[in-house]
Amino acid sequence: MLSDLLFRLRALVRGRRLDEEMADELRFHLEREIEKLVRSGMSRDEATRQARLAFGGIDQTKDACRDARGISFVETLLQDVRYGVRAMRRSPASAMATIVTIALSSAAIATVASLGYTLLWRPLTVDRPNEVVAITAAHGRANDGIAAYPVSYPDYVSFRDRTTTLAALAAHYPFAPLFVTANGTAREVNGAVVSANYFSLLGIEPEQGRFFHADEDRVPDRDRVAVIGHDFWRTWLNASPTAIGSSLTVNGVPFTIIGIAPASVPMLTPVRVNIYIPTMMLRVGYRWCDALNDNTCNTLQMVGRLAPDRTLEDANTEFAAILPAKWKSAPIGQNRGVLVRRPRGMSEDDDEPRFVAILAGAAIVLWIVCCINLAGLLTAQSSARAPEFAIRVSLGAGRIRIIRQVVTESLLLATIGGIGGVLVSRGFIAVLARMFFSTDDEGHVLFYDFSPTTWIVVATVAAALAAGLIFSVIPALNAVNRANVTAATRTASGRWSTTRWLLGAQAAAAVAMIGTAALLYGSARMILAGRHYDTSHVALMRLRPRLLKYTPERAQRFQHDVIRRLAALPSVESASLVGVGAVLGGGTATLNTHMRVRYNEIGPAYFATLRAPLVAGREFDERDTLQSPRVAIVNETLASRLAPASQALGAAVTIDGTTYRVVGVVADVTPQARNHEPEPWAYTPFWQNAGEIDSRLAVRVSGDPATALPALAREVHAVDPDVPIAETITLPTQMEGLTRPIRVGAVFVGYAAALATMLTAVGLYGALASAVARRTKEIGIRLALGARRQQVVGAIVRDGVLLVTVGSMVGMLLARAASRAVVHLLYGSPAGDWMLFAAAALAVVTVGVVASLLPARRAAAVEPISALRQE
Amino acid sequence: MDLPQGTLDLLILKAIALEPQHGWAISERIQQFSNNALRVNQGSLYPALHRLERKGWIKAEWDVSDNNRKAKYYELTAKGKRQLAEQTDAWRALTAAVGLLLDQT
Repeated sequence: MLSDLLFRLRALVRGRRLDEEMADELRFHLEREIEKLVRSGMSRDEATRQARLAFGGIDQTKDACRDARGISFVETLLQDVRYGVRAMRRSPASAMATIVTIALSSAAIATVASLGYTLLWRPLTVDRPNEVVAITAAHGRANDGIAAYPVSYPDYVSFRDRTTTLAALAAHYPFAPLFVTANGTAREVNGAVVSANYFSLLGIEPEQGRFFHADEDRVPDRDRVAVIGHDFWRTWLNASPTAIGSSLTVNGVPFTIIGIAPASVPMLTPVRVNIYIPTMMLRVGYRWCDALNDNTCNTLQMVGRLAPDRTLEDANTEFAAILPAKWKSAPIGQNRGVLVRRPRGMSEDDDEPRFVAILAGAAIVLWIVCCINLAGLLTAQSSARAPEFAIRVSLGAGRIRIIRQVVTESLLLATIGGIGGVLVSRGFIAVLARMFFSTDDEGHVLFYDFSPTTWIVVATVAAALAAGLIFSVIPALNAVNRANVTAATRTASGRWSTTRWLLGAQAAAAVAMIGTAALLYGSARMILAGRHYDTSHVALMRLRPRLLKYTPERAQRFQHDVIRRLAALPSVESASLVGVGAVLGGGTATLNTHMRVRYNEIGPAYFATLRAPLVAGREFDERDTLQSPRVAIVNETLASRLAPASQALGAAVTIDGTTYRVVGVVADVTPQARNHEPEPWAYTPFWQNAGEIDSRLAVRVSGDPATALPALAREVHAVDPDVPIAETITLPTQMEGLTRPIRVGAVFVGYAAALATMLTAVGLYGALASAVARRTKEIGIRLALGARRQQVVGAIVRDGVLLVTVGSMVGMLLARAASRAVVHLLYGSPAGDWMLFAAAALAVVTVGVVASLLPARRAAAVEPISALRQE
Repeated sequence: MDLPQGTLDLLILKAIALEPQHGWAISERIQQFSNNALRVNQGSLYPALHRLERKGWIKAEWDVSDNNRKAKYYELTAKGKRQLAEQTDAWRALTAAVGLLLDQT
């Protein structure tokens, strides 16, 4: 047993040496045989011939010996790899093309895998992550999938005190806007309000100092203690060693720093937390309702750790049974159900899986195109190598051996390509992360961990190897079937038709992807420069005097002054503000007791600032105040539902209980994805809501809005130097943040489309070039018989162009199907889609024509005499 | 005459029982000792030698042959000697039994 093992090992390690020994041994045998025959009176030549005949196939004997030694698999593999490397050296261009093709297509797979894993599946970087669960409220029917809502503090306490399936339940509000004054700087940062057990539950150890004691999270508003993040400590406090014990002001309230969180704190959201304060200080971190006592003031997210031997199912069953009393009778649209799940990925919206699926679809189509292309390339190559194979078969090499060699060569290239793909994907990820995942629509800096995992690398190389297998098996079979001397010298003519439909399929895929990318690109542009608004030259700011507990009267005075001052600036064309949500967004309201409408409170000149056209009536202005009659503006969709559009003006509408008179009708402003009906919108004056305190400003400037922002902020601070300003970004930046899936999709599918088009061109060129090479003699004969060169060229070009044209037609239908799959990302009218698809088809056909012209010109240059002399 | 199935190993072991031999000499010996009745095909001889070597019944060594050329010589190991004895007995028993059967009238 041991000797057997040693023998195999020796054979493996010293494979080449043993091969040489074997060759020596067999040669010795042959020579003795020849000597014997010579001694018996034969001539030397005859003896050699006889001996060789008697001996049989040397290669076969060698193979049989290798098998007998029992290590043949590894050894022949190594030999195949050597053949493969030799083949690569012989034709470096085609080897390089293969590697690059595989690398670029498997890079797409690795990119999607990394994105998808980080967005949807990457577990938290905590100790024993499988025990950690996230608990969120559901608004719809129980467990309908949309369960991502926060809970109130009283509801959190109710869950915390009743659960037995969880060893601990913590609450956190990770998006607290904290206006911080420390070390001479005053700025709003993102912070978190967390329960005292938050850090211990996640297994976080302080880098310095300590975290909150349970006692510091027991009495409302008493313990003003804060933990700062590692980055905050470094950037705001210059990593001061005396930071612990020093104080800073948060939303106007002084806090003492008691600890510093480590840099590697687990990220529950992509927005970094700079400062942590305990839940008992929630009313500092959240100023919009009484978050500690009001059980409708939903701000907190819950994270728990399962008790020993408890499962996720146990926790789900238990939590459904211990719902707060109010939830049981709550209507749809309020917290009424609960979902316990493992926190996975960084996804913040329900469309994210669909988005990843779309990218994956593009990557898979690209992968298939790549396989088709390589199969074509290898077929052409193996027909060129047919004589080599034929000679080896006639020397006694088995057919399986030849197939294995071809497959091994391909797998060698595929492995290199796959590893290259992983490396290239790191570059893609870095670009995508910088372009699309670095800031959100509120200007927060985002941190996504897109680092690769082992399985992503393995899966990528596996995909490359699978491509290698698929694209090599068919050509390998082909090669063997033609690998006898007579067949190799004969021209193969049937194969052109087998690759024909594959080339058509490539063209179809290219057209479909170009069409889809163009639709997505068009939508992204459409959102920046909508049909009824123009985002260019608009700067944004968010003013939140509420953080510093301004009274409504003081805040209203302040907002008035700000708008007046800004509008007076020479560089400002118009300035306005909104009270609810983002500048192009808003909330919902009930109109005339039954209709759900979208709603916002807006300042004067809002539509002028956005360049949204009024259809009838007027905008709000400074005359619409608390003292004047209540007025409203509706959009065209709402106007058409209210009455015949001509009578909407002057109609009375009731919005959330207050009656307004319609003084204006505006075009439908807010962009709508194609799968949604246009929404009815109602607008009322910001100045007519005495309770409004905070605002988002929209300022149209004459120059670049980004460079204008500092001057605009100075003007705000000239009115009141204490008011926190946040979200100092431009409207295009905000819209880009809101439309990330569209833009990532456009870039990614665009990349896949460009690569697929290029591969189609290369594939077509290769196929036609080898067809021309094969048919040189035929072309020569035809020219000799009097065919005109144009006819010859025409025949070649016609072949290729017909193929690509038919494929492109099919591609237009595929693009139409693809546009249905991404309809939720598409904006604007579908009327122009067919024109776009036709343009995509035309582009691919043009590329096809160019790709077939080169071989055609070579065909035209054939000289009949030299062509015939070749044989 | 072709060799019956499974007898090649026994013949090889017997051919090198007295002294180490190289592959060509082994095939010559088998042919001579059987009065040219048995011929060993090289295509099966060498794989068989490698197989026996792997089993540890024979071992190989490079040495200088009688005509002053380097050749690979095979010799029996202790295990190989036991195998030769066992297989010779088994073969005799088998042929005797088959002979008995065929002698029946």
